[in-house]
Amino acid sequence: MAELAAWPLLSILLALPVAGALLTALLRRAPWAQWIALGTATMTLLCALLIVAAFDRADPDFQLLDSADWVSGLGVRYLVGVDGLSLLFLPATALLFCGAIVAGWRVRAAASPLAPGLYFALLLLLEAATLGVFCALDSILFFFCWEFTLLPLYFLVSLWGTGAGRQAAAVRYFLVMLAGGVPLLFGLLALVFGQAAGGALAFDLPTLLATPLPESTQYLVFLLLLVGFGVKVPLVPLHTWLPSLAMGAPAAVTALLVGLKLGAYGLIRFAIPLAPIAARDLHWLLAGFGTVAILYGGVAALAQSNLRSILAYASLAHVGLVLLGLAAFSVSALQGVLLQLLNFSLSAGGSFLALAFLQRRTASTDISQLGGLLRSMPVLSGFFLLFGLAGIGLPGTSGFPGELLIIVAALHSHTGAGLAALFGMVLAAAGFLAPFRQAFFGPTCNPDVADADDLLPREVAVLLVPGLLILAIGVYPLPVLELIRPAAEAWVAALAGL
Amino acid sequence: MNEVLWAAQAGYPPLATLQWLPLAAAVLLMIMREDDLALVLGRLFAVAELVVAIDLYARIDVTRNVLQFAERLDVFAYHAAADGVSVLFILLTALLGVLLSFYGMARQQLTPVQLLSVLLLIESSQMVMLTTMNLLWFAAASAVQLALVAYLLWRWASAREENLALSRFLQYQLFGWCLFVAGAVVLVWSHADVLGGHWSFDLFELLQTPQIGKYQSVAFYLLFYGLAIRTPLFPLHGWLPNSAGYGLIAVGPVLLLGVKVGIYGMARFLLPLTAEAVMIWQSYVVAFAMVGVFFAAIMAFRQANLRRLMAFAVVSHTSLIVIGLFTLHPAGLQGALLLAVNFGLAITLMLLMVGYVYRRTGTTSLDRLGGLFDRVPFIAVAFLIGGLSLLGMPGTPGFDAVHLVLEAAIETFGALPTIATALGNVAAAGFLLWAFQRAFLAPRPRDLPAARIARTSPMEYFVGGATLLVLLAAGFYPEPWLQLTDTATQALAAYFQHG
Repeated sequence: MAELAAWPLLSILLALPVAGALLTALLRRAPWAQWIALGTATMTLLCALLIVAAFDRADPDFQLLDSADWVSGLGVRYLVGVDGLSLLFLPATALLFCGAIVAGWRVRAAASPLAPGLYFALLLLLEAATLGVFCALDSILFFFCWEFTLLPLYFLVSLWGTGAGRQAAAVRYFLVMLAGGVPLLFGLLALVFGQAAGGALAFDLPTLLATPLPESTQYLVFLLLLVGFGVKVPLVPLHTWLPSLAMGAPAAVTALLVGLKLGAYGLIRFAIPLAPIAARDLHWLLAGFGTVAILYGGVAALAQSNLRSILAYASLAHVGLVLLGLAAFSVSALQGVLLQLLNFSLSAGGSFLALAFLQRRTASTDISQLGGLLRSMPVLSGFFLLFGLAGIGLPGTSGFPGELLIIVAALHSHTGAGLAALFGMVLAAAGFLAPFRQAFFGPTCNPDVADADDLLPREVAVLLVPGLLILAIGVYPLPVLELIRPAAEAWVAALAGL
Repeated sequence: MNEVLWAAQAGYPPLATLQWLPLAAAVLLMIMREDDLALVLGRLFAVAELVVAIDLYARIDVTRNVLQFAERLDVFAYHAAADGVSVLFILLTALLGVLLSFYGMARQQLTPVQLLSVLLLIESSQMVMLTTMNLLWFAAASAVQLALVAYLLWRWASAREENLALSRFLQYQLFGWCLFVAGAVVLVWSHADVLGGHWSFDLFELLQTPQIGKYQSVAFYLLFYGLAIRTPLFPLHGWLPNSAGYGLIAVGPVLLLGVKVGIYGMARFLLPLTAEAVMIWQSYVVAFAMVGVFFAAIMAFRQANLRRLMAFAVVSHTSLIVIGLFTLHPAGLQGALLLAVNFGLAITLMLLMVGYVYRRTGTTSLDRLGGLFDRVPFIAVAFLIGGLSLLGMPGTPGFDAVHLVLEAAIETFGALPTIATALGNVAAAGFLLWAFQRAFLAPRPRDLPAARIARTSPMEYFVGGATLLVLLAAGFYPEPWLQLTDTATQALAAYFQHG
C-alpha cells in the first residue's frame, strides 16, 4: 500500500465531485446528468475506500498529507490529511451522497421547471465541501469548506424543498449558520493569535496542536468554538433550525444534514484538542448540554406527528449522547463516539433516504396520512425498521456497541448524566416504535398508500449497503474500533498529559 | 516620501495616458453621430483604457516603498504618481468603465453615444482623482465628476419625482465638497504659516513640513466629513437611498459607489496629512461606524424596493471599511482597501443584475417581483454571489479582506466590539438573502407572466460572467492583490506607529 499512499488521494477525492458538478451543470439534459452524477459519486466512494485501504492503521498521526501554498501572505495553506478520527467519515459521506443522488433520480424533472442537472451539480458541490470539512487540516481551509456547504444547501432547500415553509427554512438555516460562523471564525482567530504571540501566524492544525495555548485564552477559544460548532451540532438552545429544515428540505438532503454530524466532528477535531485545559475544566458543560439534548430530543420526538420531524428530534438526542461521550475523555468513550457517529450516518441517513422514497410515493410523511405501509411496501418498511432500530441502539445493530461504550464511560465519569442517558434510551425506543406502529401497521386509509409500489431495484441497492453495514458492524465491531484506536489513544493522551 | 519618474519605468507616461485617453474618446464621440460605429469605437476606447491599466499593474514594482510613474508639470501644479493602492483602484475603475460601456448602451437607451461619452468623461475625472498628488486637483476633479453625474441623472431621468432625488443629491454633494475644500484650505494655510507664506497643495510638500498642531483637528473634521458624505458614511448618507431609488438604473449608482473614491481619499490624503488628529479622534469615528453597521442593516429590513435596499447595504458595508481604515493597523488598512475594491465590484455586479431585472419587469419593487429564478437563473446566481461577496463569504474576495479587518480590529479594539460588528455584517446578509428570495424564488405575481421575462441574452452573460469571473478569481486566489497593496499599506501604517 506504500505506493498508493504516495498519491495525492485526498486531493483527488476533493477534486472528483467538483469536476462532476461542473460537468453535470454543463450537461443539464436529464438522462445524462444523473448518470454522470451517480458515476462521480461512485468514483468518489471508491476513492474514499482506497484512502481507507492506503491508511496505515498503526500510525496515530495525520496521514496522506497533501499541501500547497494558497494565500502565503496570510500564512494560509491548502493542507489536507486524515487520521483515525476522520478516516471513516470519508466513505460514510461518499456513501450517503450516492444514496442522495439515487433518491433524486428522475423525479426532479417533474417537480420543478429548472434544469435537473442543477440539482445534481449542487449535491456534488455539497459533497466536495463536506469532504473538505473532514479532510482540511488548515483552520482557514476548514472554515472555508464549512461555510461553503451553506450555498448548495440553501439552493437545494429553497428550490427543491417540500411544503410552503421551505424558503423560510432555507433562509433561517443560512442565517443561523452564518451567525454561528462568526464565533467560529473568532475562535479560530483567537486561537491563532494566542499561539503566534507576535511571531508568524500559522493556521495549520499540526502546528497549532504542537504549540500549547496560554490557559486564559483557552477558555475564550473553547467557548467560542463550542458556540460555533454547537449551532451546527445542534446543541439544544441553538437547534431551532433543525425541525423546520427537516420538514422543508428534500428528504434526501435531510439525510445528508442529519446523517453527517459536522458539528460533532468540529468539536472532536478542533474545539477539544486545541483548548484541552478549558475542555477538561468545562467537561460538565459538554455533559450538561448532552444530557439536556438527550432528554429534550426524546420527549419532543414523542410529541411529533410527522415521521420526518420525529427523526429530526431523535437526531437531537443522538448528538446529545455523543456530547456526553466526549465529556468522559476516555479512549473507549471516544471510540464509542466515533462508532456512534458512523452509525448515525448509516441509520439516520438511511432512515431519511427511506423516507425520501416513501415521500415520492405517498406525497406525505405525516402519520395521519399513512398507516398500513407494511402491506403495500414491505421492503421499504423492513429497511425503515432496521434503520430505526439501529438508531435506538438495539443489540445486533451498529447502534449498540457505540452506545454501550458511551453509556458505560458516562456512568463512570458523570453518573447522573449516564443514568439520564439510560432513561433517554427508553424514551428513544418509545419515540420510534409508537409512530412506527401507527404508520406501518394498522388499516390503510390513504389510497396513495394502498396503490404505492414497493422499492425499485436501484432503491433497494441504495438502502442495502447501509443496511448490511449496520448488521455487520453490529455483530462484529472490532475492526472499526481497532481502526480508531491509535488516534483515539493519542487524542486522550494529549488531554491527559496536561 | 519619495518618487520615481515615469521615464524610469515605462516608455510612455502611463498615468497621463489613463487620464487623457477617455477624455479624448469622449470628445471624439461627442463630435460623431449617434450610430453603431461610434458605440463600437467608444467601447474600444474603454477596453484600451483597461489595457493601459493592466500594463500599469504589470510595470509597477510592488516591493519598493516609493510612489511610481511620477509626472510633474509645475505650471499647473500638476503632479501625478501611483503606488499599489492607486493601481488597485485604477484597475477597478477601468474594469467598471468597460462593464458600463457594455451594459449601459442597450438598444432601447436614449442617445447611447452621448451617454457613453459622458461615461468616459466621468472615467477620466475618476482617473485624475486616483492619480493626483495635489489636494486642489483632487477637489477640482471631484467637482467635475459630481457635475457630470448630476447631468447624467438629470438627462437620462425616467420619471418626474427624480428631480427631488437630484436636488437632494446636489445639496449633499455640494456641501460635502465645500467641507473638503475648506479642510484643504485650513490645512494648507496653517502649513503656509509655518513655512512663511508659501502656499502649496502638493501632498509631498505638505508631508515634508512638520505637523501643524491645533488646527489639525479642524482640518481633519472638515476633510473627513467632506469625504464621508461622498463615501457615504452613516449618518451622512441621506442622498443615497433617494438617488439610488430613481434614475438610470445601475449606471449612476455604479459610478458613485463602484469606486470608493471617498475611501481612497481618506487613505491617500486624510490619514497621512492629519495623522495626529486621526489618532485623537479614532475611537469616535469607529463608534459611529459601528452604529452605522447596525442602523443601515435595520433600515434595509424596512425597504420594499430592491434598489433602496441595496443603498442601505452600501451604507452598512461602508461602515465596515471605515472601521478597518481607522484601526490604523497595517492589516486593517490593507483589509479596508481591499474591502473597498471588493465591495465596489460586488455592488456593481448586483446593481447591474438589478438593472437587467428592471429591463424585464419595469420595476424593482419587491412586491411586484418574484419567480425570476426559473427564467433567468444566471442573473439570479450572479446577484446572489455579489451579495455573498458583500458579507465576506469564503471564496469571494470579501472573505480575505473582512478577515484582515477583523484581525486588526480584534488587536485594536478588543474582541467584543469586533464580534458585534461581525454580527451586524451577518444581519446585512439577512436582508440581502431576504431580498433575493422575494425577487427570485418567491412565487411569481400574477401580473408578471413568464413569457414577459426574456431569457438571459449573450451580452448579459458576458457582462455578468466577466464580473463574476474577476470576483471569484480574486476570491480564490487573493495573493496578487495582497502583494500589490502590502508595501503601500505598511508605509501608511508607519505614520501611526510612533504614537
